[in-house]
Amino acid sequence: MNHAAHHRKSMESATSDGSAAPASTKAAAMAAGSGVVPESVPNVTGATQYIDDIPLPAGCLQAAVRLSDSARGRILALHTEAALALDPSVRIITAKDIPGTNQIGTNKADEPLLPEEEWEYWGQPLVLVVAATRSLARRAASLITIASEELPAVLDPREAAAKGDLIFPPRTIAYGNVEDAFARCDYVVEGRVDSGGQEHVYLETQGAIAEVIDGRRVRVISSTQGPTGVQRAVATVLGLPMNMVEVEARRLGGAFGGKEDQAANWASLAALAAWITGRPVELYLNRKEDMRATGKRHPYSSDFRIGADRNGMILAFEATYYQNSGCTCDLSPAILGRTVLHATGAYKVPNVRVTGLMCRTNLPSFTAFRGFGAPQAFFVIESAIDALAQRMGVDPVEIKRRNLYREGDETYYGMKLERVRASEAVERLLDKAHYLQARQRVNDFNATHRLEKKGLAMIPVAFGISFTKLMMNQGGALVHVYSDGSVLVSTGAIEMGQQVARKVALVAARTLGVPIEKVHVQRTTTLTVANTVPTAASTGSDLNGQAARIACTEIRSRLLAKAAEMLDASPEELDIANGMIYRRGQPTSLRWESLIEAAHQARIDLSAHGFFATPFLQYDMKAERGKPFAYHVYGAALVEATIDLLRHTYRLDRVTIVHDIGDSIDVSVDRGQVEGALAQGLGWALLEDLRFDGKGKPLSDTLSTYKVPDNEFMPGEIDIEFLPPVENPTTPYNSKAVGEPPLQYGIAGYFAVLDAVRAARGTGIEYYNLPLIPEKVSQLLAGKEG
Amino acid sequence: MIVTITINGKKESLQIEPGDMLVDTLRNAGHVEVKKGCDTGNCGVCTVLLDGKPIRSCSFLAVRAEGHEITTIQGVAEEARRFADFLNREGADQCGFCAPGFALTVIAMKRELKNPTEEEIRHYLAGNLCRCTGYESQHRAIRNYLEADHA
Ligand code: FES
Ligand code: FES
Repeated sequence: MNHAAHHRKSMESATSDGSAAPASTKAAAMAAGSGVVPESVPNVTGATQYIDDIPLPAGCLQAAVRLSDSARGRILALHTEAALALDPSVRIITAKDIPGTNQIGTNKADEPLLPEEEWEYWGQPLVLVVAATRSLARRAASLITIASEELPAVLDPREAAAKGDLIFPPRTIAYGNVEDAFARCDYVVEGRVDSGGQEHVYLETQGAIAEVIDGRRVRVISSTQGPTGVQRAVATVLGLPMNMVEVEARRLGGAFGGKEDQAANWASLAALAAWITGRPVELYLNRKEDMRATGKRHPYSSDFRIGADRNGMILAFEATYYQNSGCTCDLSPAILGRTVLHATGAYKVPNVRVTGLMCRTNLPSFTAFRGFGAPQAFFVIESAIDALAQRMGVDPVEIKRRNLYREGDETYYGMKLERVRASEAVERLLDKAHYLQARQRVNDFNATHRLEKKGLAMIPVAFGISFTKLMMNQGGALVHVYSDGSVLVSTGAIEMGQQVARKVALVAARTLGVPIEKVHVQRTTTLTVANTVPTAASTGSDLNGQAARIACTEIRSRLLAKAAEMLDASPEELDIANGMIYRRGQPTSLRWESLIEAAHQARIDLSAHGFFATPFLQYDMKAERGKPFAYHVYGAALVEATIDLLRHTYRLDRVTIVHDIGDSIDVSVDRGQVEGALAQGLGWALLEDLRFDGKGKPLSDTLSTYKVPDNEFMPGEIDIEFLPPVENPTTPYNSKAVGEPPLQYGIAGYFAVLDAVRAARGTGIEYYNLPLIPEKVSQLLAGKEG
Repeated sequence: MIVTITINGKKESLQIEPGDMLVDTLRNAGHVEVKKGCDTGNCGVCTVLLDGKPIRSCSFLAVRAEGHEITTIQGVAEEARRFADFLNREGADQCGFCAPGFALTVIAMKRELKNPTEEEIRHYLAGNLCRCTGYESQHRAIRNYLEADHA
């Protein structure tokens, strides 16, 4: 390989002199990169190194954490004798050993890395233990006894709110005049909606490897979506400036938001242990530890009031969201922000008042999870419309159609909507799924079947894209073109299965004008791209793709100037595409590799840094008005379900989706994202039952007690259609973000099952409490809504 | 104690504790292509073949493998590479963490069942959890992979 590269180089310098390349040179150039292993091969053959697969540096110790076993308590004394006696390699580290500041909270300083006195949830890491092997470290951790005092714990968000235990003051968005509007309504319906938490179940659990370099710097490899956040946390805990901490993130074995803020804990613990022992340290959680110790999707409990005229036009909507934030702030404010900014779902409502409360409880700190507070809001508005339809005696689909956002509508937070596609998606869906016939078929089935009933439900989605925290809407990239013409791109985007690396590579290849095989997207490190935002909010390819595009554009213009000189042309006449240089649309004799070689000889910089900040975003937090989103993603889904009246189980028969991916960079990747998000949404709505007992003890802390969708749970038929491309100026090549919006489609699964239950009972039921597990279906069929 | 296991065709003598699970023994011996996702036999990520049949190595004592043949995905690497291409084309290669266990199960199924029906495929793979793909793309990939052989 080396030999070939060498050979190629000498031949190409010949071409750069202007002489025609001999055929063999072309062949050699074409062969460049032919040894590249296709990207999915390392994953499938198991060669990809996730945290626990990375060969450890010599002398590496293993760390384990001792977790609390009650929801709230005070440490009186630690007895570590037995643990220390286990093996000479055992070392115990507590809050007192932290050389810097014992604080890793990002939005509020309420999160010590290790508690000094009190712990606040069941499963909180109290003490760090290191030993020569992982099993020794775990055994030593279990041998520590803790003398403690029990403290009263609060688990319910409404109870916390009643006590005034809020993380920040409530946030309210008010628009129009709700009271006047309710007075004018023909129908006003109130209700309560509850949604459960959701465990991420990224198949790779959390972990990190840390080592001290030259006795003064720290290097951490972390399974994180946010290397910069990890870098900041490690620096704070160790009392170092950020330039002494290097963080690297490789491919993650799934994350879904769970490794956005909460990877910092484990990385900081590993770094702390490395700093104190002077030895490399790995900390890798097992499934049970991970399920106990880490945050999940926020459970919500909400109240709504909705009002409409006799035609089903919604005139007013009011909601109060009690967000169960868990024991610390974490990302809760931003998540609540997304909730209150998605309160009316895909509908235009002229009078709105919504309030969100971040309620502190003694549960793990709930955190980012795909959808980030929006699914909870969608479930509330969809429940409200469902209740309204029950009272009015009409099909909810009719009410939904009538109230969708239209072009030019202003949202209740003052954003004028452009290129609205809500109706386009819904009408196409109803048409595609032959909705009226489907409804008739379901009714006929229900009339003729006594042991099974079918249900049908539709949800439209309008999902705002951008981080709700304005400063986070930025991305950076560093692009190098090497002298053989191959391209290396580094960005802040973490690859965790969403194929952002492929999308960034496609953007870079398209912008530079080279075949995709020429481009490699490198793992993210804080050395190559600094001050990155976490890869989250579905913005990974928008922000990092744009940054890469900007860097590539810069290099391209330098190259075009050089090519113009070589071809005696003006740069405007020239184009680079597919590794060839074109002049007024005609291929020239100049190839990419020769151009790069010539540019290198001419001492032209073949590297560039690109930076992108999403334009036109602004939001006034006081007035609660502005443009918090670059754009919206639209779509709609129809779900059909059948319940078994003997066993009280159900199955999902089919899902039809019409979804907006703009002018996609890679349709097969986007399809995979829609399918994966649908599965997680259906899991949240119907299956995944996150439970704590009355004392806050986690009951669903293994994969045998917490079920996630398997292939038999998934609907037999899934039909996905994409809307035609549309202009979308702030993204790479008019693409659209895809990670989160389709998760809301799962909510239609809830209403399809509820619709079937209603058919069985023959009465209207207003019951909004997800997940709608078979146990609840049983109760509903027995007439117990409590 | 020492167990002797033939791993991917090569006899290896490994130092173990009586309670060690096969997954840890394999990983400690450098076979990190065998991933671990749950420890409770629920996810299928740790799948290896024991004398050609898929088992969950997290729920299988290492001592019981004494004298048997264990195949990890590396033992069928060429077939795995072929299958990888089908996954890739369907958007079914996402985070990749489930992929080695999943691919090994697919390869075992292909050897065991001639022309599996849709239902048999789902049933065979129901124990292989994937949190990323929602399974649809994996199924398309499997169908294409099986069909390609008939062509
Ligand atoms: S690790 Fe063995 S089944 Fe999950
Ligand atoms: S691809 Fe991530 S778990 Fe299957």
